[in-house]
This record gives sequence, C-alpha cells and structure tokens, in this order.
Amino acid sequence: MLFQEVSQAMAVEKMLKAAGYMVRLVAPPPELRKGCDLAVEINLVEQPGIERLLKEKDMAYTSIEPIRAKTAPLLDAVKVTDFGRWVMVKAGNMKITYEKESGVIVNVSGGGCPDIPYLHAELIDKRLDQAPRPKALGFTLCALNLERALDECLALYSGGNKT
Amino acid sequence: MMLIAGTVPIKDMPLTLGKVTSESGYLVVGGRSIPCTQGTGAMVSAALATTSYLGLEAPHALLVGDIGKGEGSRKLYQYLIDHIEELSPAVLALHYWLPNMSQTRQLCAAVEKCARRPIMIADAASMYSAKAAGLAEKFDIFTPDPTEIAFLADPEATHPAYIARHLFETDITRAPELARAAYRHHGAAKILLAKGAIDYIIKDGEVLATISEPNVPALEPIGGTGDTITGLVSAFAFAGLELHEAAIIAAKVNRMAGKYANVTPATKVREVIAQFPAVFKDYLCQWSSVCGAKGGRSGD
Repeated sequence: MLFQEVSQAMAVEKMLKAAGYMVRLVAPPPELRKGCDLAVEINLVEQPGIERLLKEKDMAYTSIEPIRAKTAPLLDAVKVTDFGRWVMVKAGNMKITYEKESGVIVNVSGGGCPDIPYLHAELIDKRLDQAPRPKALGFTLCALNLERALDECLALYSGGNKT
Repeated sequence: MMLIAGTVPIKDMPLTLGKVTSESGYLVVGGRSIPCTQGTGAMVSAALATTSYLGLEAPHALLVGDIGKGEGSRKLYQYLIDHIEELSPAVLALHYWLPNMSQTRQLCAAVEKCARRPIMIADAASMYSAKAAGLAEKFDIFTPDPTEIAFLADPEATHPAYIARHLFETDITRAPELARAAYRHHGAAKILLAKGAIDYIIKDGEVLATISEPNVPALEPIGGTGDTITGLVSAFAFAGLELHEAAIIAAKVNRMAGKYANVTPATKVREVIAQFPAVFKDYLCQWSSVCGAKGGRSGD
C-alpha cells in the first residue's frame, strides 16, 4: 500500500493493527515508489476488506500493488551500551540514554528528521514509563526508530535488569 | 555569507531568514528566539561560536518550524530553490528537514545556476535525501555517524531505518570500508567526516586522517554533539580552510570541548558549545592556519 506522506502510512498501519490485520511497515520497492518512502505491507487476499475499512475511516492512500519478495524490512536491531550510571540504547539511527536508578531520560541523540528535535524536547528529563510515545507524537522513520529504542529501554528498566 | 538551512521544533514558526545573534543563551534569528538544543539549534550555535571567535561575519540562518509533518520543510526547500541564486552563499549547510528527493533535485539544479557554486555541506536528513536522490556527489562534505555511513554504503537504502542488518551491526572501525562502498555506489560527498569513537576524514575513498584523542565516549549519548561538528566544519570552511583541514579541526575541537566540559551521558549540548572559545584559545593556532584573524571567505 503506497502513500503520499509518511504520516499517512504510519496512521494506516496503526489503524489496521488495531483492527486486527497482520500488517507491517516496509520500504516500497523503487520501481513502485510513487510518494513517500514508507509503505504498508498487507496480505493481498485481504485487500477488499482493508480498502473498505480505509474508506470508512476516510484514510488516504495512493494505491495497492503486489510487492516483490526482497523488499528490505525496517531495521529492528538494537544495541545497548553501559555507561555505568547510565545506559544508552540505540535503534537504527536513534539513541536514548537514561539513568539506571531513576529511569529518567537524560539524552536523545541521532536522527535527522524534523520531529526528532521536537521529540528530544518532549522526552528529556521524563521517566521512561511517563515519557510520551515517539510513535504517537512523531511522523517519520526516525521517530519509529526512537519508539523501538524506548521499548528496549522500558524492557531493560522494568525487567529489573537496569543495565 | 554562510547560510545554514534547517527546521526547528517550534510549531507554526514561519520561514525566517536572518543573521544569527545570541542573547541570554538563546539564538536570535529575524527577531525570533531559538533554543540551543539538539538539531539545527546546536549546529547554528557551534557555527556562531566559531565565527565569533574568528571575527568573521556571523552565519545567516534560514529556519522554519516543523515538528515532523513536513509542511515547513517543503517551504524551506522551495525558498532555497527560488532564492539560492540571489542569496549566493559561500557556504550552504543543510540540516534537519523532512527528506524530499524531488525538491532536493530541484535545489541541486538551482545551485548549478549560481554564478559561483557554494560549498555544499549536508548532515541529518538533508544528507539522507541527497544520497537517496542520487545526488551525493554534488555535495562537498557529509558528516555521517556510524549508522549513517552504513546507510550511505547501502545502495538500496533510502533512509537509515532500512539499512541491511549486517551493516547496522558494524562499528566505526569499518568506516573506511563502508566509505569505499559508498563512493563506489555514488553515495558519498567529496569528503566524509565520519564521526564516532574514532573520527575518520575520508576523501574519494581514501582516509586522510583519523582523530581518536581525546577519547570522550560520553559525547555519543549527548544529543547535538554530531550537530556541533557540522556547525564547526561549516564555519571553518567559511573561514577559508581547505575542506579536509576544516573537517579535522572540527573533530578535534568537538572532542576537546567534551573533555573541557567533563561531560557525562547526562550533559546537555549547550555545555559542550560553551567550551568552544576556550578550546579555540588554547589550540586553534596549534592545530590550524586560522588563529582568529579576519579573512577566509567572510568577504565573499
């Protein structure tokens, strides 16, 4: 499913998952790309129902095309660096650093999309479990990486393994 | 003039162009206050600190509010496309915005019409769009971090979120190898300042210099310390240094400022920037051919 705007793709993916569809965000193949750099992968068998749901929700998309098998999935790898009193978690091009004892986010770094400085301001000095979700406030792939970094931070912190 | 273009995280801030000043810890552009935080604010602050010390004309900044929806970014691109010829900056440094390949192509075409081509520097998403649009070679300097240099090396990737996993798993020591791949795939600017635990200055695939001292690991978590490097290298290029020399000095200054600030992972980038004048005073003459005298490209 191709879109003009990254924000449209992220919203459709979120809505479809809530509706129970198995979908994922992917890079559209260059030969199919018509708008932005993010697409939603769906099971083509479900196309009619999804199109109907999107129409009911008045959610825009450009077209639905068959996808080639080798389209790169979004990177989901993370790296963790222990700085003693602090932990840095890196997901793709985004990093979150928090204080182990308090769980307070002390820095956000990396990225290059315009929602990142905004998210930086929104997340800094907040506890991991009280920080806003980057996916809820952001619009871009950088925000998506930040979301993954926050998920990993929360898993580390809430799991009692504060390192 | 040196022109820095990028978005700032201020909702509804209109497109604003002006010479940068500093007031009570904030940047001031066109009468508007901009926080010196991660992103374009940190980059501009670093450039201003450098031009102020060197006695050069302050940077001009073209800024717009955008928190990710892309509306401000599109206005920013379009203003540059329409006005870059008349602005005719000596250095054009591009930073945070929503990557748009089509407008990047239009901008590069507009730059080609300038009577004198500006030195083109890109970081953040302006680097992503330049590479994704196949226009990396139009740029003089990119300043990628380890993930971003892997992105430049991956011919299929249009954003660092899509790099192959095996590339993400590498560290900065593979920068020379990844840079060679990036040059092979036409994904690199003429000079790469690959910033990480070791900083590599690479030109046309050849490593010209490595900087690893002082070793300040806590710089990496601090949001904006990559942005400051880009601001520094832009200002040193504006001062007339050879571009590879500008990159080397920028990397050294950033590291030393981190050491001077006794940074921890909780330090804020403004504390690092505050140390730049002291680092300049102690080391600039030793490291470079600029010691604070006016000159370079300031009169251009």
